Amino acid sequence: MIIAERKLMEEIKRLVAPFKKVLVAGCGTCVAVCWAGGEKEVGILASQLRLARNAEGNKITVLEATVERQCEKEMVLELKDKVAEVEAVLSLACGAGVQTMAELFEDKPVFPAVNTTFIGKPEKEGLWTEMCGACGDCFLDRTGGVCPVVRCAKGLLNGPCGGTRKGGKCEIDPEKDCAWVLIYRRLEKQGRLALMREYNPPKNYRAVKRPGRIQAVKA
Amino acid sequence: MEKEIGIFLCNCGGGIKNIDFDAVREKLVQISDVAFVAVSSALCLEEGKGTIVSTIKDKGVEKVVIAACSPEFTEHTFGEVLEKAGLNRHLLAMANVREQCAWAHQGDVTKKAIQLIKMAVNRARLLQPVQKKELPINKDVLVIGGGFSGLNIALQLSRLGLRATVLEKEAVLGARLGEAESFSSCDMGPMISEVESDDNIEVLTSAQLVRIEGNVGNFSVRIQKAGEEIPRKYGAIVVATGYRTQLMASSEPDSGGKILSQAELCRMLAAQSLEKQPRTVGFIFDFADENSRFPTLATLDNALAAKEKWDSEVYVFCKSVKVDSKGAEKLYREARARGIVFLKCETPPKVLAKNGRVEIQAQDILMGEDTVFACDVLVAEQQILPAEDADILSSLLNVGRDSKGFYQDENVHLYPVALERKGIFVVGGCRGDLDGGRVLSDISSAVMSIYELLSPGKIVVDSEKVKANPQKCVACLTCFRVCPHSAIQLMRAENEKEVAQVADAACDACGICAAICPAKAISFEGYTDEQIVAQIEALGTS
Amino acid sequence: MSKEIVAFCCQHSAYPAADLAGKSGLRYAENVRIIRVPCAGRIDVIHILKAFEKGVAAVLVLGCEEGACHHITGNDRAKERVKYAEMLLKEVGADGGRVKMYNLSPNAPHKFVKILDEVSKKIADEEKQK
Repeated sequence: MIIAERKLMEEIKRLVAPFKKVLVAGCGTCVAVCWAGGEKEVGILASQLRLARNAEGNKITVLEATVERQCEKEMVLELKDKVAEVEAVLSLACGAGVQTMAELFEDKPVFPAVNTTFIGKPEKEGLWTEMCGACGDCFLDRTGGVCPVVRCAKGLLNGPCGGTRKGGKCEIDPEKDCAWVLIYRRLEKQGRLALMREYNPPKNYRAVKRPGRIQAVKA
Repeated sequence: MEKEIGIFLCNCGGGIKNIDFDAVREKLVQISDVAFVAVSSALCLEEGKGTIVSTIKDKGVEKVVIAACSPEFTEHTFGEVLEKAGLNRHLLAMANVREQCAWAHQGDVTKKAIQLIKMAVNRARLLQPVQKKELPINKDVLVIGGGFSGLNIALQLSRLGLRATVLEKEAVLGARLGEAESFSSCDMGPMISEVESDDNIEVLTSAQLVRIEGNVGNFSVRIQKAGEEIPRKYGAIVVATGYRTQLMASSEPDSGGKILSQAELCRMLAAQSLEKQPRTVGFIFDFADENSRFPTLATLDNALAAKEKWDSEVYVFCKSVKVDSKGAEKLYREARARGIVFLKCETPPKVLAKNGRVEIQAQDILMGEDTVFACDVLVAEQQILPAEDADILSSLLNVGRDSKGFYQDENVHLYPVALERKGIFVVGGCRGDLDGGRVLSDISSAVMSIYELLSPGKIVVDSEKVKANPQKCVACLTCFRVCPHSAIQLMRAENEKEVAQVADAACDACGICAAICPAKAISFEGYTDEQIVAQIEALGTS
Repeated sequence: MSKEIVAFCCQHSAYPAADLAGKSGLRYAENVRIIRVPCAGRIDVIHILKAFEKGVAAVLVLGCEEGACHHITGNDRAKERVKYAEMLLKEVGADGGRVKMYNLSPNAPHKFVKILDEVSKKIADEEKQK
């Protein structure tokens, strides 16, 4: 899922400095699961803003709302009334959500309160790791289900680079596992090591024209 | 606004002298949804309780606030009183104006009392009823482990009319006790025959637990035996997997002298005739592991046996002799009276093989000198460790172990045989350093708990006190991962998405899940965010 | 009455300790407001932040001794959340030092009172310096 991280308080305070009434809007999907922008974080940010502005002697009224998915027009429209009441919106959703809100409520400034960082998964409680680079040309079948595009520091398609450290760690980042060691071990378990001898041609990064646009088969 | 809330104030038989109850009453009746404020002198006595019932019925209130002593004592009682008055017991909020107000401060505390009661009123306003639910349960017990503890508990359960399955991973019962460590250890033979001929006990050997689902009263397990998976259902599970020992001596190559384990010495003692009876026997224990109850008893027992059978000189090296086990002090005195020498050392003695004997070099605390003893036979220190696959089983059962790998009791003082997962109990050596006496008392305690739990054939639980809202749940699995009581499962209602579901029977109402849920999907009635924050709202200097 | 000190007390440790303190005639500051919770792990940062929004002087979270939580991990989680709340408060220029976690046993009324006395004194000193 999409992983995001809340922006620094300094930046968020600066964004809402000119306003006296704002809405903090959360999303109940990806950002909720990665503890960055769900209903819980909406409550915390709202509380923090009130505390900060009270201390400055410049009170702010903060409304709070969370929709199931902020990238869905129908769901975002549910916030119509609350948005009408405020001067600006702080969205805790990923970039897709922020832009959906901005598009539907064109007359109100909609600011991002999180930085959308990567596509990833939980490694363990509270720890999220990048897994996919959305390259549009997936070849996980050839790498035993480990993606070297994002998990190899050098993005090698035919690794390893020869600098792997002891314990199978990456030359660049000793905290990271060398992705190609992971790939080797996985293929070994499956008896498919022959793939390591096959050459992976350069990726076709034009496979996905940016900005991406996909039409599914009309049902 | 509807006058929904009724307030009862208690001055504790006149014992609370620094609260002006009339002033309190005056302030509280001003709250718009308060129907009445009644002052009493003994709410907990029969007459007081009767007044509560009649007043509630009279005034038709929906929520009740009682300002009196600590809810730790009376919440349960007053809950029952509410039920007598036709209200759900959870519609009660208490304000602790005695222990945490009148008694805690000098001088007049009327203002604080008023605020504490306002906090309770704010909370009461938001309370919702919680119903009780009866669930049928299975009365059979699964005992994992066919050793001393496992067989013992199965027999005791059978005597109370409960059926048990004894699951043993080896091919025979009591396998480990064949290596008795204490010369006067019990003979497992009679116990094993009794178990095998007991109609209430089923024995499955060469069998292992491979899967467990469900909760207390309704565990569904799968047992693997002879390549097949047998599905079974049980109401409670007992872990009695015992421990193993590991000889710690760096055994030097034999040059005539021998380094043995306690079990090997026992075999020597039991042998009809020996080529050569050892003239000097040494024992080392208590250095590596200070939890040495069992090694202490085994050493004392075997030392006395060696003295009696072979009339050898016996030397025991240890840090100190811990005699808190039943009978240990008596054994120790006897050992010393018989001339067994105890040397207390601060550091472990050095062990060497020399001249066909085992040489022990130790610094005695009293003499302060390095002394050398030569023994024919040395029983080296043994470490008590958890069973080999304790990590697999504990993982399967999703229960914790302590830093040494033994099963961790839920509460060391009050409830040593239960684990954090309701319905799963632990007895015997797998709990760590124990001695025979403690094992037996643990077993009795566990038996009583299990009997109390299972014999009614049903359990009564709070229904949906902690509940995951399927609309808000995003199945992020956070609550599932953090629940310390394994009470949350992922369920899929028909054609709906997968959501978290709290099992009422297993839930211990801690609220950890409610706090951590990123989607605020879990409500914990009585302690919802709103109910907690409402108490904060009553604060503030004004 | 000065600004209140909110003390979230877990029912397995601090709450009974507070009761014992009252029973034993041990006295502490009158501006303490105890809120009972089933486990320190029930408390989340939002409860702490809301209390500061209300204007309290300090927020204390009191749970079982480390390693002895009735619900195994509750007090550890509370500890982490208190640290997080401290950071959130600092982020907005509020005094992060006014939220703290303490551990005690249910039979430790003296420890309970000592903790509150320490906190009261610290606040009084800080107010004087202002």
